[in-house]
Amino acid sequence: MLLNVMFGKSSVSALTSLMIQSFLRYFAANMNMRSSLNRYLKHKDGWFNFSIGLKTEDSSVACGIDFKDGHVLVLRTLPADARAIAVFRNDAAARRLLTGNSTDQIFMMLKSDMRIEGSPMYLNLFSFFLSLVFKSVQIGGMKKERKKNEKEAQKIAPKINKVPDAIARRNHKSLACDRIDPGVRYLDEPYLSEYSIEDFPRLQKFLHDHLNEKPEICPELAYLLTQWHREHGFETDAKGNKWVPVLRKARAYTYVMENKKPIIAEDCLIAGTTTSKKIGCPVYPDGSGGLIWNELLTISQRSHNPFNISEDTRDILHFDVFPYWMHRNFREYVRNKYHNPLSQILDERYALYFNWKQATISHTIPDFPKILKVGTCGIIKEIKNELRTKCNEEKKATLHAMILCLRGLEVYAEHLSRQALHDAGRTSDSVRKQELVHLSRVCARVPKYGARTLDEAVNSVWITWVALHMESMNAGLSLGRLDQWLQPYFIADVKKIKSKEDKETYIKHAIELIGHFFMRCTDHFPLTPDLANFYFGGSSSDQAITLGGVTPEGNDAVCDMTYIFLKVTEMLSIRDPNVNARYMPGVNSDAYLRRLCEVNLVTAATPSMHNDAAMIQSLSKLKYDIRDIRNWAATGCVEPTLCGKHFGHTNMQMMNMVAALEMALNNGYHPVTRLAIGPKTGYPSKGHFKDFESFFNAFTRQFAYLIDTSIEYNNLLAEAHQYLRPTPLLSALIDGGIKKGLDVTKGGAKYNSSGTAIIGLADVTDSMMVIKKLVFEEKKFTFPELIAALQTNFEKNPEILAMARKRVPLFGSGSDEAVALANRIAKWAHEYYAKMPHYRGGKYTTGFWSMSNHVAFGTLTGALPSGRQAGKPFTPGLTPQPFASKSLLDNIRDVARLKPENMNNNIAFNVKVVPSAHQTREKTVEEMFSYVKTYFELGGMQMQMNVVTSDMLRDAMAHPENYRNLIVRISGYNAYFVTLNRDMQLELIERAEYGI
Amino acid sequence: MKIPLILDIRGNSLDDGPGIRTVVFFKGCPLSCSWCHNPESKKTTAELSFDESECAGCDACIGMCEKKALSRKIIGFVDRKKCSLCFRCTEVCPSGALSRMGREVPVEEIMATIFRDMPFYRNSGGGVTLSGGEPTLFMDFASQILQQCKKKKIHTLIETCGHFEWGQFEKKILPWIDMVYYDIKIMDSALHKRYCGLSNEKILNNFENLAALSLKRKINLLARTPLVPDITDTPENLQAIARYLSALGISSASLLPYNPMWKKKIMKFGINDEINAPDNESWMETIHIDKCKSIFAQYGISV
Repeated sequence: MLLNVMFGKSSVSALTSLMIQSFLRYFAANMNMRSSLNRYLKHKDGWFNFSIGLKTEDSSVACGIDFKDGHVLVLRTLPADARAIAVFRNDAAARRLLTGNSTDQIFMMLKSDMRIEGSPMYLNLFSFFLSLVFKSVQIGGMKKERKKNEKEAQKIAPKINKVPDAIARRNHKSLACDRIDPGVRYLDEPYLSEYSIEDFPRLQKFLHDHLNEKPEICPELAYLLTQWHREHGFETDAKGNKWVPVLRKARAYTYVMENKKPIIAEDCLIAGTTTSKKIGCPVYPDGSGGLIWNELLTISQRSHNPFNISEDTRDILHFDVFPYWMHRNFREYVRNKYHNPLSQILDERYALYFNWKQATISHTIPDFPKILKVGTCGIIKEIKNELRTKCNEEKKATLHAMILCLRGLEVYAEHLSRQALHDAGRTSDSVRKQELVHLSRVCARVPKYGARTLDEAVNSVWITWVALHMESMNAGLSLGRLDQWLQPYFIADVKKIKSKEDKETYIKHAIELIGHFFMRCTDHFPLTPDLANFYFGGSSSDQAITLGGVTPEGNDAVCDMTYIFLKVTEMLSIRDPNVNARYMPGVNSDAYLRRLCEVNLVTAATPSMHNDAAMIQSLSKLKYDIRDIRNWAATGCVEPTLCGKHFGHTNMQMMNMVAALEMALNNGYHPVTRLAIGPKTGYPSKGHFKDFESFFNAFTRQFAYLIDTSIEYNNLLAEAHQYLRPTPLLSALIDGGIKKGLDVTKGGAKYNSSGTAIIGLADVTDSMMVIKKLVFEEKKFTFPELIAALQTNFEKNPEILAMARKRVPLFGSGSDEAVALANRIAKWAHEYYAKMPHYRGGKYTTGFWSMSNHVAFGTLTGALPSGRQAGKPFTPGLTPQPFASKSLLDNIRDVARLKPENMNNNIAFNVKVVPSAHQTREKTVEEMFSYVKTYFELGGMQMQMNVVTSDMLRDAMAHPENYRNLIVRISGYNAYFVTLNRDMQLELIERAEYGI
Repeated sequence: MKIPLILDIRGNSLDDGPGIRTVVFFKGCPLSCSWCHNPESKKTTAELSFDESECAGCDACIGMCEKKALSRKIIGFVDRKKCSLCFRCTEVCPSGALSRMGREVPVEEIMATIFRDMPFYRNSGGGVTLSGGEPTLFMDFASQILQQCKKKKIHTLIETCGHFEWGQFEKKILPWIDMVYYDIKIMDSALHKRYCGLSNEKILNNFENLAALSLKRKINLLARTPLVPDITDTPENLQAIARYLSALGISSASLLPYNPMWKKKIMKFGINDEINAPDNESWMETIHIDKCKSIFAQYGISV
């Protein structure tokens, strides 16, 4: 602004142009002259030849840079064939690119101060080149930013610093319980109160490593895949024949499994690791792997979720892997084939919707009981039988692909078996030697053949789990009802035991084994680009495990293993596996629900609790077999999958419903992206709406537009998956795949669906209530006055803000009208999605939870009629706004009155409760129990409690070193509080808290 | 029937009896304790409250007040001498910073609110608590609520200062009440009169009647003593109370740590200072509370 005054606008632009060009020239000179940098311009197959444009929206600045045959040239004009153009909102934004740190740059993208025309992949590559020259400046910026954040956190720290004791105190005096549940047959005291983490030194060590070691990027999978494809081709085979995608995938997969390093982690009772690193981030080059290209030099230094990366890994990725997959990934496949469609452009503007298929499908649950029972052998036999029936070419190819993948799994297990024996030979510890010999035998048996013991069953599940993650990304693939599926093996073991002492030793072993399994699940972390830290901050792979509930026949499913899993959940208190617990009113015992509350109290955030009755009711409309419905389990966050039979990509997208509201408030124009994309439904600011109904209609038309567009992109990405990454192993492990002879990405599963996460139900409902009551019914102010107030973030109209917050019955206040409106919005969304045609057959399902997108999308949204101010987070999931009511009972009741039938991809209802410091554990548990049980009796679907005080969270911001293991529920998943970005930390602090 | 003004019907109370409870706050109290932490419940009549922290500063109220009782220049915003309590300003106030304390609520409406909370009572062992103010100032009205609760088998509790006519209480309240929280504040009658406005003979008589019933397990009775610095928390007073309870055969009681929030509260309706009030503005130290507890313990009374 000041520059504008001093020099006039056009000369400022000239100045900016000059600055950018000199900057680029400096960069180009470095790249051209320094051989240590120049070598990066050449990859395994040749030179990186491409050009990038840089311009401002009004073209006052327009220049470019060209990379050709190892030479970098700055261009004074926009290159005509630019692979990507960075478009800046104005001069100031362009200059900020040069001066800002990486977080600034992310926010420039989020807030549309900068957008990319064309391929972000190329811009990432360009950014990587930039970081070669400016690495030390960038890292310096990151350090400075971290320091600044630390300083700010100190400021908000509470004065009294006694808070860490609060967590420690929770671990004392566990409750105990008699055996009550009919399915609990061998645990005399199901709460297992006599055990604590101190009884398991190995678990303590694993836990320590988990909390203190930085994950490292592992190139193994990407390297092996690339190696195979370089030899055997991708589009066509070595002979030039077109590859059948599913067979190509299976062959590449087999190669990966044959060459994957077999590792038995130190001291572990379970064989196999997802990566070659102790804690590794696998790179999936056909998905989102390439998104970290620009961070290869800086990723170990970034503020949030830094990863280590070795020089070798960096070279493998830059010279070999990423160039090969540059066009062979989901986003670029769609961009090239469909000419960068609008539906893709909107997704990549980050403020409207986010479609997960650009990274992966994964969100599903394989049929573990089957592989536990018959092993890969049995499944291959089934496939061979199917091959004897009449098969078309696709079926034949798919079935062969499945066999190849299952064989790949067998080979990996064989390698593990050999490795275990080898390790046994090298250890001097006789106990460990025995364990390794035992493990070697276990891996020789499973997963090839059916499991007979708990040791075999757990190893079979884990080895299969590793194998599935070599096929598609470690995001949201879930473990299902492990308590149910492992119980038979537990029983088989216990039955063989004669003495009481042996039984006790065995139960302790079972607890330790499941503990090892949990810790195995932490051996990998999704490779998140820095941008994702703002979208899915602190989210791990979200490997959901689901406990309790009812059996397929409708009987009480709570069993010995349920309580063993709960004990492990309590002792470890880790974010992932994401533990979910089902509770069926009238069937499951109070003792079980109390135990869930106790574990929630001790861990502060887990398990998430689900009402079986409501979930079953909500799924019943989908015409699934009732036995399969009763076999549902949470996937990723909270979403239901019918275990082993259902490909329900339950996190197909994060949909910002509030964007539709903003568009309705602006005649189809979306403020942050500055895109006039929606239908022209009229200007509230010009008095175009005569009544509430016509405005509601405008909102649904805008929402319909966003849904249509996002689903179009989903379909295009789905096609990319079918071509680039079929999943034959998963297809063999989901009922229907073999019989149909069809990959699950094409509809092979018995049941198909895709699930959405709709964000902002409370914010939209409340905004609508304010418009309905104050604008149209009570006429306290006009619609144009409201719009004017929103545009100034209520600064000039504090009375409108006050009325919105205080004079309107909001969702969560106990108002019938608000609940009816929330139900109406949910119903509309549900019905609209449900009637969209689905590319695999089946339905789109609607969920109301938000991961952490309520914070990210909130940042990108202006003031709302609800009284939520600009840039503030939305409420998590469908949780009512903090000022809706002072009484938690109102919140609970209103959420329970939402109709499950409209929410068949589940909900996330957050409640933050603060136990009084002087209260006994028994009484606190009792109160939590009362809330949850009543909520479920009233028909509520899901509830997740954070048992923390705002003071504790503030203290954790200031002293993260004291709180490494503090987990919090975001919306559906758990995260370590200290790994969250600042906005998310503050959102958790500002949530309403209720004393108990 | 005397109709009370109701201050609030608050769900989700965990401090006013067992389980999750709904508390009905009556307005008006025969005592006038200087430290009262619900000062809005002292008078039986409606009052105008102004909460500065809620005020949006729109000034909509100032112009419309016919008595010109509202001004930014006045400490506390409301000129209490001019205000005629017409409450019209509370209707235009967008934020509720100006609000009416106390309104008539028909029994049916109270019951409707209670019934909404009912599902929470069963799982938590909760119920309904009549509080205030002093519910026994309105025995008939209170009786109606209690009777309706009992029809639905809801657990009932009354919080009382004890200053009521026993005969009336026995007839109208006692048959429908499960539990009584009974304040024993000061044993010395003169001091009681000084700090609470009335002497305590009637209170102690009534307490003795209830204590007799409670020993026969006809009623659940809990004596409660608010710990007010230098007024009720003196060793002499606590010893006297403990001795008294012990003599009546009572073995458990409750001590309520001092709540200094009342000072902020009284500002909202134009009172700047209370005579004889404690000037302590901080919460009590745990150590001090434990000391008070130990006095009770010496007399065999668990707290």
